[in-house]
Amino acid sequence: MTATDSSQLEPDLHHSETGSAQPASADGQSTAASDATSDSGQPAATSPASSAGAADSGQQTALPVSGAALRASVARAVPEDRAVPEETERPRATRVAEGAWLGGVCTGLARHLGWPLIAVRVAFVALATFQFIGVIAYGALWLLLPPESTVKAPGLESASRAGMRDESRPKRRVDWGMLLALIALGVGLLWIMQNTGLGISSQLFWPVAFACAGAALVWRQADSERQKRWRDEAGGKAWLAPFVARGGWPSLVRVIVGLGLVGAAFGIVLAQRGEISHLPEVMAMTMLALAGVAIVLAPWLHRSRTALNQARAERVRADARADMAAHLHDSVLQTLAMIQRQADDPRAVQQLARRQERELRNWLYGDELHEATLKAALTAAAAEVEDERGVPVELVTVGDCDTSEAIQALVRAAREAMVNAAKHSGADKIDVYAEVDDESVEVFVRDRGKGFDVETVAEDRLGVKGSIIDRMARHGGSATIRSAPGDGTEVRLELKR
Amino acid sequence: MTETTDHPSPQRAAAERGPYRVVIVDDHAMFRTGVRAEIGRSVAVVGEAADAEHAITVILQTQPDVVLLDVHLPGGGGVEVIRKVHEKNPDQKFLALSVSDAAEDVIGVIRAGARGYVTKSISGTELIDAIRRVAEGDAVFSPRLAGFVLDAFSGSIDLATVDEDLDRLSQREREVLRLIARGYAYKEVAKELFISIKTVETHVSSVLRKLQLSNRHQLTRWATDRRLV
Repeated sequence: MTATDSSQLEPDLHHSETGSAQPASADGQSTAASDATSDSGQPAATSPASSAGAADSGQQTALPVSGAALRASVARAVPEDRAVPEETERPRATRVAEGAWLGGVCTGLARHLGWPLIAVRVAFVALATFQFIGVIAYGALWLLLPPESTVKAPGLESASRAGMRDESRPKRRVDWGMLLALIALGVGLLWIMQNTGLGISSQLFWPVAFACAGAALVWRQADSERQKRWRDEAGGKAWLAPFVARGGWPSLVRVIVGLGLVGAAFGIVLAQRGEISHLPEVMAMTMLALAGVAIVLAPWLHRSRTALNQARAERVRADARADMAAHLHDSVLQTLAMIQRQADDPRAVQQLARRQERELRNWLYGDELHEATLKAALTAAAAEVEDERGVPVELVTVGDCDTSEAIQALVRAAREAMVNAAKHSGADKIDVYAEVDDESVEVFVRDRGKGFDVETVAEDRLGVKGSIIDRMARHGGSATIRSAPGDGTEVRLELKR
Repeated sequence: MTETTDHPSPQRAAAERGPYRVVIVDDHAMFRTGVRAEIGRSVAVVGEAADAEHAITVILQTQPDVVLLDVHLPGGGGVEVIRKVHEKNPDQKFLALSVSDAAEDVIGVIRAGARGYVTKSISGTELIDAIRRVAEGDAVFSPRLAGFVLDAFSGSIDLATVDEDLDRLSQREREVLRLIARGYAYKEVAKELFISIKTVETHVSSVLRKLQLSNRHQLTRWATDRRLV
């Protein structure tokens, strides 16, 4: 099935590619299409040398054949009637970076066709042993399938999903280096098959496979994290990078193993043939194939793998970004709107800003608090008081412990002390400090407000007496209040563990 | 900190010793402008920088009394700036400033060599006071930083493995830190413990030194682990 699919695909795709060279591009991708036109249609405008150089080093200058056209043709290549009815929309045929073994072609196709991934892979491998059709098809698809849709800003993405903005398709770059590489690969392989007679390639398959693996190993170098530095050292020539750049011993090992594999390929051929007289022919064939594959493939391989890695990283970042967008929308945006509405009330604005700051800070840098600990309970209590009373509460904790009934009482008492401070002291800030050690739990609630005379006031103030002192006493703890007019107040709560 | 009540007019305090020269390093231009407007009358802002590389050049050129240093900074963060500047000028004083209260940020930048840590929500007068303190060679401990230090040096680490003085806080230092964590200003700490403000400052500086010099790896690991708990 895959064979028919891909064989249907190929001519169609090539057709569409040449088709894009025609000026009239109906799909609105006029910029991309005309770019492609100017490069392929008017070679006289730019000298071949300069465009070749651009392809070597080029990130931006690679030919921007209209991705829309390519993707449309890929979609067309798959007959519509094969669509599974219950699926509302079948995913586009793309190269999927996630979980890809090579180029992500199989994964993408499997997703697109709704087949099991393993079936697609087996099909490709089976086809590969049959006159390399699988390899060629895979290479062509790798070249022509667009990578999975690139990540957009989460806000834009959600807007696009909701149909709130014009969906402009990402440009896709194809460069002639890739095309040449594939053509060379295909021609070379065909040539080998023809030369070995009757197209029976099994004798040469393994040597060639070895040789290719060796070459790939060498060029794989160009794809490590240090590739940028290497590329710089190689004077911007990606294909020189593995030889020129300093990669340390791992790269040396890779080069040696790679060359060893290439050597093994020769060895196998010679062993199979058992004739030294064939050596020059075999050498020539393999050398040509290898030279074609290696040199022409290198920059393309390099680039495509770079893109692949980027796509992979993007994917990981995308989820985080989407979360962040949702969060910002739910929190900051709402707060800003409320602040504007209450701009006349400085206290409300301050309160909103403070709450938002706390929330955002906690989200960005905060510890993840377990539900049932003293610290979590105090943090929640402090936040509540802050929101209700509009007075900032600074909480510092040292150590932590699980909550018990007594700890909960302690937290409630502390909360009451905070509320009192916010209500009566007039202080602009409340400091709360909690310390847990092996023997006891202590909480201090302190303000620098106007204070009061403990002797006269404490007794008849129900809040202090009932909800702080008595509550602590009931749970085997103690509460002491230090205060003097003009000196602020400090409530100390202690509980033996 | 009510320390500012000591100096109802920070301008006067600064004028007595000549205005302190300050460099502001922060990647948010808006924040730099805001800080400059807030403290510009009391201190001389002699330079600004938005990234680590630029900051190092500016600081080495202008040699300010105090550098207000953002912890999160393009080009390696505040820690990188402190390290690079201290290679050339080990006496340069830094006051770290951040929106983050994360333990590893705080402890990390202090261990790199900052003489204090304040959050960006600090008021103008408090900031001027902190700058003065750092310029005079003292340490600036916010309640939160004091809490972190107490936590880091708490008894949870096996005392048998603690062989150096550096790895332990004295009883007095612990008391001072606890009061700071409770929200006491230095003056109030002094009053509470019946010691002079200078003694409080000595204790705090000593804690800072221990925090910076203690090579007990638990300290950094503590800060890192804390995020995971």
